[in-house]
Amino acid sequence: MSNALQFHGVVKCYGRLRALDGLDLEVPQGSIFGLVGSNGAGKTTAMAIALGLLRAGEGTIDLLGDGPFSPERHAGRVALLPQDSSFPPHARVEELLRFYGRIQGMPVAGLAPAIDELLEWVHLQDRRRSPVRSLSHGMKRRLAIAQAFLGRPELVLLDEPLNGLDPKEAARVRDLIRERRGHQAIVISSHQLTDLEALCDHVAFVEKGKRVRQDTLDKIVRRSHCVTYHLGSGTLPLARLAAELPDVTWEQHGNRVVASFPSTYTAEALNTAALRIFLETGVGILEIRRGSDLESEYMKLSAEPPPLQPPPAA
Amino acid sequence: MNRALSTLGIVAANELSDSIRSRRVIVMLLLYLAGAMGATALFITFLHSIEGQLVTTLGLDAPKDAGSVTATLWKSKPFRDLLSHLIGEKKLAETLLDVPPLALFYGWLSCAFTPLLVMLTASARISEEIASGSIRFILFRAGRAPWLLGKFAGQAAQLFVALILSALGAWLVGWFRMSGYEGWATAYHMLWFAVKAWIFSLPFLGLALGISQLCALPNLALAFGFMALVGVSVLTGLSNWLAGDGWRRIWDLVNVITPGAHRQSLWWSDAEHLLPATVFLLTLAAVYLFAGYARFARRDL
Repeated sequence: MSNALQFHGVVKCYGRLRALDGLDLEVPQGSIFGLVGSNGAGKTTAMAIALGLLRAGEGTIDLLGDGPFSPERHAGRVALLPQDSSFPPHARVEELLRFYGRIQGMPVAGLAPAIDELLEWVHLQDRRRSPVRSLSHGMKRRLAIAQAFLGRPELVLLDEPLNGLDPKEAARVRDLIRERRGHQAIVISSHQLTDLEALCDHVAFVEKGKRVRQDTLDKIVRRSHCVTYHLGSGTLPLARLAAELPDVTWEQHGNRVVASFPSTYTAEALNTAALRIFLETGVGILEIRRGSDLESEYMKLSAEPPPLQPPPAA
Repeated sequence: MNRALSTLGIVAANELSDSIRSRRVIVMLLLYLAGAMGATALFITFLHSIEGQLVTTLGLDAPKDAGSVTATLWKSKPFRDLLSHLIGEKKLAETLLDVPPLALFYGWLSCAFTPLLVMLTASARISEEIASGSIRFILFRAGRAPWLLGKFAGQAAQLFVALILSALGAWLVGWFRMSGYEGWATAYHMLWFAVKAWIFSLPFLGLALGISQLCALPNLALAFGFMALVGVSVLTGLSNWLAGDGWRRIWDLVNVITPGAHRQSLWWSDAEHLLPATVFLLTLAAVYLFAGYARFARRDL
């Protein structure tokens, strides 16, 4: 599969700080790609560099197989939802979208239906003639999401897209992003790992300007090799589980138990055996989930090594 | 190329419509219009009082309205000869004496104050977009150069509208307050001076937007814009004063790169003077604008 966005060894320095320290990324075309990392890990910088807003010090970037960003080659084919940017306050919603559409080269005839669709998408039809300054924070955020999808660009970079949205709107935007799977490559940077887990098919963990891990979500959360049980009551019968399911590894974190199994097992087979044992030993099961969760995997990977102990005094 | 030109046009139209909705720009334009009308009214009052004194000295009845004595004086041969002698260039004096006095005053007024209006309305335009981040919604859709030229064109169009409105305002004041008012001739020359003042202001617009590209804070851009306006004005005066023979010829070179040095050529009405001045002023506008762009093209946004 060809890549919609590719970073190779990209370095970006702000003075002495290396915001990106040889970042590698491969975003497959048509995928929904999650970018996960702590504050200052370089996610926003990477997005801005991809679209030419920031200049990289070193490394190579390829956008849609056409080299680094150039307005001549990429205008209208890529889009960005920046994190902390505001629209001109006097502009009106519809005319702002029309302006963006026209400068990105959309045909005038196709603008009105595209804008109508987007405004309906983000529930702003009734505010189309309102000046931006009169919109609430959430409405402005929805407008920012709408502009990123104007003209159906091939690659869309969304920096914290669900921030500031109420739960209903957030769910709606999640659904709409899901609908675009396979049609557009969408990169989402977010600290809401449950959102990313619900949306993405590929994920990269970025820390201190470097990629720590990148893979499909299925592989990262080990959906084919792991089942997570949330226990309600009772004590985990570890001895019996080990005896009856010898190839399965059990890890307990509070009331959460993660069972990892080799490829000779299937999740269904494990559940059949494990649930029987749990029921017979009086262990209450609140939830069963295939695989681990993104948060746990991220925590594992980003956990810093323990501080070095000083050598014992002679 | 077509794409860049189309972007330029779209950005220019958007810049014009967005800029004139800004409260600060509206206030500045209204102040400019009020200033032009007020200054014209003051000029007419001053003219009336001089005419009154002159007529009283001569023992005649004072005129009711301003302008009648001046119109007579303006056409008298001794006065024209005297003025030609004072200006030093007979041809220029004849050119200026063919212009109604009110239009001449408007020409001086617009050339003197339009650069200030430019700095007040334009010097924060780009830095505002950098500071708010709204530029981040644009620059993945359009190149930086066509966007910048579109901003320049939009601001230039706004300036043109301001000058035409101020000419109209000044003309109306004259129409109401002057007797023997040469309406058509005054309107014609005022429009000409509005166009000339517009050309004269373009380097200042280039300077304002050049500075705006360098600043991420609108207030800083405004402050630097004022400093640059004062700076080029001082440089024009200084270079005029210090220019001479030998090594002092360097001041002639310095003089050429300031807009003020080309202002006098705009008072002429023949192409021989107007064309080189226009070319110089447009070149200066481009030089100032692209001096800022040299940094803007590479800066992180």
